[in-house]
Amino acid sequence: MIPLDRYPKEITLRDDARAVLRPMRSEDADGLWNFLRQLPEIDKSHFHEDVDRREVVERWATSLDYDAVLPILAIHGERVVGSATLFRNKTGWKQRIGIVRILISPDHRHLGLGTAMIREIRHLGEKVGLNYLLAEVIEEQQAAVRALERMGFEKAVVHRNFVNDRKGDLHNLVVLLHPMSGLVK
Amino acid sequence: MNCPNCGVEHYPAPGGGRTAPAKGGACPYKGTAYAGLRAGHDQIYFGRWRGMDANSIDLRRAYHQLERLLREIAVALEKEDVPAARLDLGKAFDALRAAGPGEEGPEVLRHLDHALSYAHRVIGDLLHEKGLAPHSPADFAGWFDAAEVPFREDW
Repeated sequence: MIPLDRYPKEITLRDDARAVLRPMRSEDADGLWNFLRQLPEIDKSHFHEDVDRREVVERWATSLDYDAVLPILAIHGERVVGSATLFRNKTGWKQRIGIVRILISPDHRHLGLGTAMIREIRHLGEKVGLNYLLAEVIEEQQAAVRALERMGFEKAVVHRNFVNDRKGDLHNLVVLLHPMSGLVK
Repeated sequence: MNCPNCGVEHYPAPGGGRTAPAKGGACPYKGTAYAGLRAGHDQIYFGRWRGMDANSIDLRRAYHQLERLLREIAVALEKEDVPAARLDLGKAFDALRAAGPGEEGPEVLRHLDHALSYAHRVIGDLLHEKGLAPHSPADFAGWFDAAEVPFREDW
């Protein structure tokens, strides 16, 4: 079981605003859907499903399984302004690799929220004994790439013209890895 | 003269005309969490060793300041359950050891720079655990003899 006793956790952003981090709950469907709808297209392009469809988000909210997919939401006031999700395989050869996806509301960028979310995922990854965190980012998302690198992720590979956005345009995909302390020991 | 609050030599803040060490009471770190760690970090961050005209004495001073900072971070970290920060602190000590106390050259600069970056990350982890915003040296640049801030960005 993943330890969640640190939540809800209050954090301070660079503009002194406070946000609360906590795992997503079933009643967050509306908040998450509103959050996803206002993201730029490029941020939505790596979802496996059409997140503009409300039923997709509702299904996520009603089928939460934190040991497989742990979405940590950042709440400012009543609004969801960020999400950091840790995906894990319960068995198999990738069970010690956590896949990370972090999304930040456009009006809450450059306030340190993304970095705070990365810190949370690093902490959770350590607590469940992962060997690596893996993040995949479209190369245009340079702020995210730099933030991940500053937090210890290393560029493993850049796949040229590898992924397409929802219009069909191709983009370079940056794969970043973060070795965890269990591996380093 | 060093600041009686944080031990670091400050300069007048821009336009403020205040000089913390000489007159006291105006330390920019006063009241902040982990004030000593922040001040110790920034003293190195804005130190002469990073300048084009740095000499071997500047490098040696930076090495010893970093060594002291990392030890102080280790003490602060003992009370916290932050495994990622422990990992980074270990890397910081590794980088410091790679730099060596009396060495010179671009490799030494690189190792010292890495050690300082790891230290900054650990301080950020400590602050995050307390729900505080990360430490930004740029916020304190005016209190050091800093010609420029290397970068300031966040996500």
